[in-house]
Formats: sequence, structure tokens, C-alpha cells
Amino acid sequence: MTHQITMTDVTFTYPGQSRPQLKHVTLSIKQGAFVAIMGGNGSGKSTLCKCLNGLIPHYYVGDYTGKTTINSHDTTEVSVSALSKHVGYVYQDFENQLVSPRVLDDACFAPLHFGLSDFKARGERALELMAIDHLKDRYIWQLSGGQKHLLALSGILSLNPDIIIVDEPVSQLDPFHAEVIYKQLKALHQQGKTVIVIEHHASFVARYAEEVILMSEGELLTHTSVREALENDAVLSQAGVYPPEVTMMARKMKRHDHPLPLTIDEAERYFRPLLKQTEENQVESMPTVNKNAAVQLKGVSFHYQSLEKTTHQVFDQLDLSLYQGERVALIGNNGAGKSSLMKLLTGQFKPKTGQIKIFNEDINKQSPEQLAEYVTYIHQNPEHMFIDDSVEKDIGYFLKMRHTPNLDQRVATLLERFDLTSLKSRDARLLSGGQMRRTSLAIGEGTSPRLLLLDEPTATLDMVAKQHVKRLMQNQTGEEKTIVMATHDVSLVFDWATRVIVLNNGQIIFDGVPEQLVDDYHVLNKAGIILPEVVELSRRLELPLMKNQQMFIDCLQDEVI
Amino acid sequence: MDMVKTLTDKLSIEQVKIEILNTAYGYHQTFLQRLDPRTLFLWYLVFGVVPFFIHQTSVLIGLALFLIVLTAMAKVSPLIIFILTLGLLTQGGSYLIVGLFFGGEVTAMLPLLKLTLKLSVISMASIVVFCSMSPEKLSDGLLKIGVPGQVSFSIGYAYRMLPTLVEEYHHIFLSYRLRGKAPVKKGLFYSRQLFYYIKLLIKSFYPLMLSVAKRSRTMVEALESKGSLYGFNHPKVKQLKLQHLKIKRRDVLFFGLSISYFIILIGIS
Repeated sequence: MTHQITMTDVTFTYPGQSRPQLKHVTLSIKQGAFVAIMGGNGSGKSTLCKCLNGLIPHYYVGDYTGKTTINSHDTTEVSVSALSKHVGYVYQDFENQLVSPRVLDDACFAPLHFGLSDFKARGERALELMAIDHLKDRYIWQLSGGQKHLLALSGILSLNPDIIIVDEPVSQLDPFHAEVIYKQLKALHQQGKTVIVIEHHASFVARYAEEVILMSEGELLTHTSVREALENDAVLSQAGVYPPEVTMMARKMKRHDHPLPLTIDEAERYFRPLLKQTEENQVESMPTVNKNAAVQLKGVSFHYQSLEKTTHQVFDQLDLSLYQGERVALIGNNGAGKSSLMKLLTGQFKPKTGQIKIFNEDINKQSPEQLAEYVTYIHQNPEHMFIDDSVEKDIGYFLKMRHTPNLDQRVATLLERFDLTSLKSRDARLLSGGQMRRTSLAIGEGTSPRLLLLDEPTATLDMVAKQHVKRLMQNQTGEEKTIVMATHDVSLVFDWATRVIVLNNGQIIFDGVPEQLVDDYHVLNKAGIILPEVVELSRRLELPLMKNQQMFIDCLQDEVI
Repeated sequence: MDMVKTLTDKLSIEQVKIEILNTAYGYHQTFLQRLDPRTLFLWYLVFGVVPFFIHQTSVLIGLALFLIVLTAMAKVSPLIIFILTLGLLTQGGSYLIVGLFFGGEVTAMLPLLKLTLKLSVISMASIVVFCSMSPEKLSDGLLKIGVPGQVSFSIGYAYRMLPTLVEEYHHIFLSYRLRGKAPVKKGLFYSRQLFYYIKLLIKSFYPLMLSVAKRSRTMVEALESKGSLYGFNHPKVKQLKLQHLKIKRRDVLFFGLSISYFIILIGIS
């Protein structure tokens, strides 16, 4: 096999920066490999990939030394355009990569601009390959996030490159769509393409990739097979990467005679012999909370107009009550109505019929400003909440408008609590995903709401940042506060929520404690919910529900003894 | 407050976004949309410029009638028509007030009304042309008549970004509202409240600019690797891109009949 990609002692420093982002990287990748590049934020993963498609050194004119070859072309000698016939790159913010208003035009854009006369056929073929050819006459703003990602992939496939690089496909997509993307990547790999993904989620890497490159602070730590990489705990933690949940649990069992499981199937075989007997699954009853209503919806209907001027019904006669002190998780696939429900509660949307009461006040009679005094909504995209030019000012805006005494002190406390003190004078838009998210949570906390609404607080975060946010969420205690969170992250639901509501097409198809949800196959399937590995495993092993890894380990150790 | 409320309900930012996109792309296929962009350019050159130099009221009235028919055919969005009539009415109304105030008679207004008529003919011609061309068609047309590729691409791209920008602006505006504090007293004729809203509307542009700057980086890199630089400078690409543009019989007919109507109008008066 030939080495399709080689890098020899590549070091790169972005213009205007003092420290190199890549340090003496040497690697080679064979044709037809499926490689995952893993590492924490700022470890140089994206920079590495930009060296492969020639943006470095042609577009970023930094300090570049070493040599990179793609199909034996030296990247310094070939232009970015010429390289794009060999290497296709899908960005993390792939939405900005779509440049034409219409789907087919976007897929055709590259071959057309390279003057290939069969541009249309190429675009159509690329759409077919990604199974989105039925969307070709749509406008891109009509597409869902998953469809946009597939279109971005089609846009590069139209040039038929043999190397495909995808930057964090899972970060902007829900688990269901992420699975779809990976299946497509796998199909491309089977056709002989070299696929390189930048990925934080070890469970996807374990199931799909063949090789892993681990990076840390611009250096390449190891380049090995998936198994070797995910079993090597020391290197993983150096790179700031978490192995799959099942691997972490197996490691704690300290069985040295067996290879560690990487996927859920392997885990089932690994753990089953450790069990002695099965116990009855006990469902915990709904914890008692003081039943003072926080939110009451009665007969609420809501619809909005789509671009084609057709009305889209979201809720029809919805009834729902939430109580003070509850921690409610709202789950359901995209378009199920999670965000609409939250926006109704903030007064951004008005119901067409029915009544919404929050703390026994009819919110129809209040302006969003009045509601904001006790209800806070934290956006899915933290950038939508940044209205000032520094983290500190953004957090203090609400308090400042109300001439709150001890403003500086209160802001300082919030900065400290959310671990933002060192970043306080930075522009929040330029921070990393995890830092932006913490800023948005601090902004929300600064308004000291009685009802806190969180829209996907852990989406788009890498594993380390996700753990950080989870810890902050866990600390959100206090009898008085009611928290509603829309999320795809089911492991957070089991760890955190006292009540789960599953929405599907604007209807509540499940409402109860998390424990009951696990056994409701009908609901799980209908709403496209993918269970966390530990929950899935305990279900397959017919154990009582294990909400987190510690519970699982404790239970097994009891049984083994 | 009720009036303000019903107005804001009707004129939500969401609604404006829908109207803009419908005006730009026209989801319904009209006869005018099937014409070649060059026909529409040429037609606009006649109907958008020549009326400036016409003084006979009868010709202007004839043109106005013709354009009203075309505006109806083009299925122009109600919002645009509303803005146009509002503009014309307030203009006419202010003439009347100013005229009477300075002791003029109603007859003094006639030449001014003629100007209004002229302007409405030209405005309608503009609306008809631009509502009948999607941004893609407009940019292809411009490319065909020799405008550089970068310019025509920018037009298409601007429209591609428009819904995203409106949405982003909306989010920022809401963030200001949800974290700010509305004036407690509404003020005389809601003046305080109005001032508060206007201030927020202006302030919201600043964060928007910053986030747009951030977005554009990926877009520029993507364009680079999608070969746009190569494409803008090669005649073969231009030829490929424009091969679908053809002058058909309906173009000749439409242009011929419009011009004949114009000439007959001038001939009669």
C-alpha cells in the first residue's frame, strides 16, 4: 500500500501568534484508511487538517516549515484549488460552507467553477450518494441541520476527491443525525476513499474508525489502531480524551485476562460472565416535590407560517403543569416542539389559543421584558446572547440596567463560579465552545430567575467541556428554582432530571420519572432516543437501571462478591 | 397600546423575513419570471428611464394602467405594495398640506401630482422587474452583459445570507429586550417606549456585525477550495454557467408588444 498522505516534521505558527499551533508533526496515512484525529480544544487538530487541504500554507501565511505531500504532490507547490480535487474538507461550522441559495447549485458549485462541463451530473451524483437527491430543488434555509451537513459533504464529493476530511460531525448534530453521517462516511470508506474525522466522541470512533491519531498542544502523541489508542489510558488523558463509557467501566473492574470492550456489543460479552443472577427491575416512584404550580398550560395551540406561506401546526390543545423545584428534561427529535414550548414560556411566541400561567400570572398580559424578571431562557447557540464586547459586561448587563447595588461584586462572584475570571475582558464570541457556553450560563444565572429554561446546554461541546457544564448543572440546586432543559443528551437526563417529558410532533408521548422511560420501547423508537451506553448495557444485561457508571460498578462488585 | 400591539403582531420580524424571501425568489412561477434576464434589463431601460422625459398626462396615465396590470401579473408581495402606496399617499398628502398652507390653490398641485404619477410609473416598473428576477437570474444576467464574476456572485450570496442575518438580528434584538428594562412610563403618545425600541433596533446592529465577521472566515476559505477564484477568471466557466440563457419567442413578443403599446400611446396624444 502506498502512503497517500505524508507529513514530515511540519511546524506551523499562525501569523501574529508567538507559539506554534503544530509542532514537528510527522505522520503517514495509507490510501483507504479511516482515521480519527482526537484531542482537546486547541490541540491543533483543525490546523493539521488545514495543512492537508493546502489552506496552510497558501491561505494562512504563517510560519511554515516541513513538508506535506498529498498523492505525491508537495502542498507548497500546488494551489488550494488544485488540491481540492484530492482533498475535500467539511468544516465544523459547515453551514457557512454552503454558498448558493439552492441545493443543487451548491452541490454543483465546485465542478462548475473548475470549468468541468459535466458539472450538473456531478452535483446530482454527489447528492444521490448522500441520499438527499430528493431535496435538490429546495433552498438551503429550508433544510434541517443534518441535511445541511449532508449537502456540505455532497459539495466536496462533486469533485470526487479521494480524501475526505470531516471536522467534528457530531458536534452540531443530534445523535440520530450523527449516526446517519457516520453511516454515509462508512459507505464512502468502503468505496475506497480515505476518510479522516476530527472527533471527540470515542463511542463513534470505536465503532467506525480504524486508526486514531492523538494530539495534544500541537504535538502528535500517537498514531495507532483504534484498540491500542482507546486502551491506553495514560495517553488518552494526556490528550484530554475520554474513552467510551463501557471501556471506562470495564477498566474499573480490573480484569486483566480479557481485552477491554470498546463497543456496547463487546461490553455485553465482557460483563455477562460477571453476573450471578438477575434482579427485578425496580421502578422508583416519582419523588415528592411540593406541588406548587410553576407553569400551567391549558389548551394551548400554536402554529407559525413557513416560507411557503403554509401554516405549520406545532401544538394543538396542549395541557401541561410543571411544579416548583422540579428539574424537567424535555426530549424529542428535531422539530418536536421543544424550543417552541420554551419560547412560549418566555413570551417570545404567543399562543394562538389557550392560556399560559407562570407562578399564577397570565403571561399573555405581560411583555417579554416583564416576564424576564423571573423567567430566563438560555439559547442553544450562546452567541445569540452576546450583546456586549466582554464577558464581564455581558454578565453584568441585566444587573446594570436595574442599577443593582454591589454590581461589581456580584459579577465577580458569577465569574468565579463559572470559572470565567481569567477570561472576563475577552470578547465572548471569540472564546471556545465550552467557554461560550459557560458565559451564557453565567448570564442566565445573573438574572436570578425563578424559572430557568435551558436549550441544549451540552450540545456542541467536547467531552471535557461537557463534564464541566454537567457539574455546574448539578450544583444548580435550591428548592425554589424550577429548571426546564431541552436536550438530546440522554445521559444528562438520567443523571440530573427529576421528571422527563418526551415530545413528538407537538404531543407529549411520555411524562414521568427517567426510570420509566428506559422500558418504554415504543416511546424510545418513536422519538429517536439513543440511550447512554451505561443505560443500554444495564438493560441488555437485565440489571436494574444504572443511571451512571458508578452505580454500575457498585452493583457489579456487589454481585461478583 | 392596542394599536401598537396589533401592528407588531402583524409585522413580526418573522413575517418580514418571509416577505423578503418571497419577493426575492417568488415561489410561484409567473409569466414574467420565465423571461430572459436580458429582456427584462432592456425593458427596464425603456420603462424605467423614458417616463422621466414624458410630460403628457395621458401617456403617463396609459403607462400607469399598463404597469398596474403587470404588477398584478408579477404577483408582487402585499408588503411591497403597501409600502409603495404609503409612500405615494403621504407624498401626495404633504403636497396638499404644503400647497394650502402657502395659500396656493388646488390647481397648483396638478404639476406635483403629475410628478407623483411619473414616480409611481417608474417605481412600479422597478418592482415588476426585480420581483420577476430571482437573485440567481439577476446575477446570471449581469454576468452575461459583462459585469465581473465577483459582483454577480456577491448578489447571489447576499440573498443566501439574508434569512440567516435577519434571524440573527432578531435573536440579538430579543436578547436586548430580555435582559434590558423597558421604560416604566410609556411617555406621551408612547414616545418613551418608541424611543426605547428604536434605540434597541440600532444597538442590535453592532453585535450582528461582529458575528458576521466571524462567519465570513469559513465562507472565504470554502470559496477558495471550491475554485471560485479560478472560476471568476476563466471564460469557459462563464460560458458553462450561462449556457441555459436563451432568448425565446416569448421574450421577443413581450418586448415587442410593450414597446408598441408605448409608441401607440405617444402617437395618440
